[in-house]
Amino acid sequence: MELKQAMEAATAELDVRPGFVGDVMAGGRRRHTRKLVAITAAVALLAGVTTGVALTRSPEPPEDPRLTATTTGPHAGDSELIATALHLWDEAQKQPWKPYEPVTEVSKRANVFWTGQTPSGPIALVAQEVRVRDSARPATLVGLVADGAVAGREVVQAEARDNETGLYRFGPLGDHYVVLTLGRTVSWSLKPARGPDNRLARVWATAPHDEDGVVFTVAPLADRPVFVRGDSVPQPDDFTRQPILSRYDYRPDRAFVPHPGLGWSGQNCATGTPEERRTPPGTKADDPKRELQKRALLDYLVGWDVTGDWSVCAWLPDGRYALMFEAYGELYGALYQPDGTFSAPVLGGRAVKGEPAVLALPDGQGTIVADFGATIGPQERDHAWLAPAGTKEVTVRQQGVPKVVQLP
Amino acid sequence: MQDFEDFVALRSQALLRTAYLLCGGDKGAAEDILQDVLMNMYGKWRRISSSPEAYARAALANSAANRWRRRSRKPEAPLELGAVPAARGHEQQVVDADIVVRALAQLPKKMRAVLVLRFFDDLSEAETARALGCGVGTVKSQTSRGLARMRELMGEQVLTWS
Repeated sequence: MELKQAMEAATAELDVRPGFVGDVMAGGRRRHTRKLVAITAAVALLAGVTTGVALTRSPEPPEDPRLTATTTGPHAGDSELIATALHLWDEAQKQPWKPYEPVTEVSKRANVFWTGQTPSGPIALVAQEVRVRDSARPATLVGLVADGAVAGREVVQAEARDNETGLYRFGPLGDHYVVLTLGRTVSWSLKPARGPDNRLARVWATAPHDEDGVVFTVAPLADRPVFVRGDSVPQPDDFTRQPILSRYDYRPDRAFVPHPGLGWSGQNCATGTPEERRTPPGTKADDPKRELQKRALLDYLVGWDVTGDWSVCAWLPDGRYALMFEAYGELYGALYQPDGTFSAPVLGGRAVKGEPAVLALPDGQGTIVADFGATIGPQERDHAWLAPAGTKEVTVRQQGVPKVVQLP
Repeated sequence: MQDFEDFVALRSQALLRTAYLLCGGDKGAAEDILQDVLMNMYGKWRRISSSPEAYARAALANSAANRWRRRSRKPEAPLELGAVPAARGHEQQVVDADIVVRALAQLPKKMRAVLVLRFFDDLSEAETARALGCGVGTVKSQTSRGLARMRELMGEQVLTWS
């Protein structure tokens, strides 16, 4: 057994825990904010010392008004519903906190600040003051009670209220949405359409919300609903806004959920790497997905399962560098110049599980054929091969079984 | 920071596997150092987005080395390699996987990092040297000694090196 093989076998079952990506993002933001605060404080201290100005303590952020707000919404007067919601809220706290909920202490009483009615029953939004690790200031635990349980909750730190997600997905089919406007405009869109020039377009509208700034809507997942929060409604060909993502869009909150795409993992190269270019380019451009989104060729990526966990790289005969990946069951590619600037997007066909992925490159640069775990082409290259231009068919051997694939 | 988030979502699994080997098979420690490294990368993303993967691997190797430096201050029960069954089959593959991790755990930290980066992550000698902040000569000598030591520890479990 080769050492690489043995190492791969030893790590084959390893994957990060559910919620890991969200934890990294939240922790990274928190750490970065603390660093900025420390630097600002140091600069202010230095400035104060050198100018002899006495420093005064920066004002505390105001208390989250939802902690004490009077209940609003259609069931505001329904004391039984409010009591039930608070009971369910408290019951949920008997379970251990998730790793992404750094709560150390909760206040005595939660507050239902909004109630609503949905096809699956009444719902309530709840806020409660909590203490969290790594912060001296109290934070707000905000969440939604729906379908007889806490359907979602998040910790909103006083120093980072702009980071509040404010989106809850629930309902028997997971297609009910409650989105908080948080003082801005929430826009939403369904069903992206690809035009004859391959560019995508979305029709956007301001999401209807009540006077308390709460949006409720039902949107089938198949229609690819996207919500954004901002000061304006996005243009139809704008795929660069930051979509509002719920926690479940980062990773499933349970273990061992198979990826619905091709199911491959990691990056493999379809060519050898030229000796003079040991480091891949891509340095001056955004990541390939972002580049395609900027050109309205790739839709908003909402959900952990809409992109594959894999990519294929290739050095091309003309010196450019290609990356191939999967999104929404389609194959995409991006070409970069050797200096790292973006060169060209590539759209491929469907990504079909169990079938090799094939991406024809422009300008006579050949065709990438990928099938992780297989040997491909006359040199029986592992996982991926860049078929030279003019190649009409290629043999792919998965577990030794040959299969001839016709190339476009 | 969408691109950073994409990087984390796309590459965390691969990086976790590297971290796991660098930590000598301690999954909890691997997750911890990976999360720590990625959280640090958040604030540096603009500077390192040109080659985040290389940065992450170098940082993982350093974090794993520091972790082992801290751990080495405490006495620790030595890892014993189990007896190697004669028959090969599914059980044998499990044994292979277990043995390689346990053998790696017995190597000095730099030697382990060199082998993981060179043979698991397919880095060149120059890239490995850059990641570990040492010379190419050191990488060569550590590779040679590391392979010999692995062969000693694993016996015929490891037959070839690619």
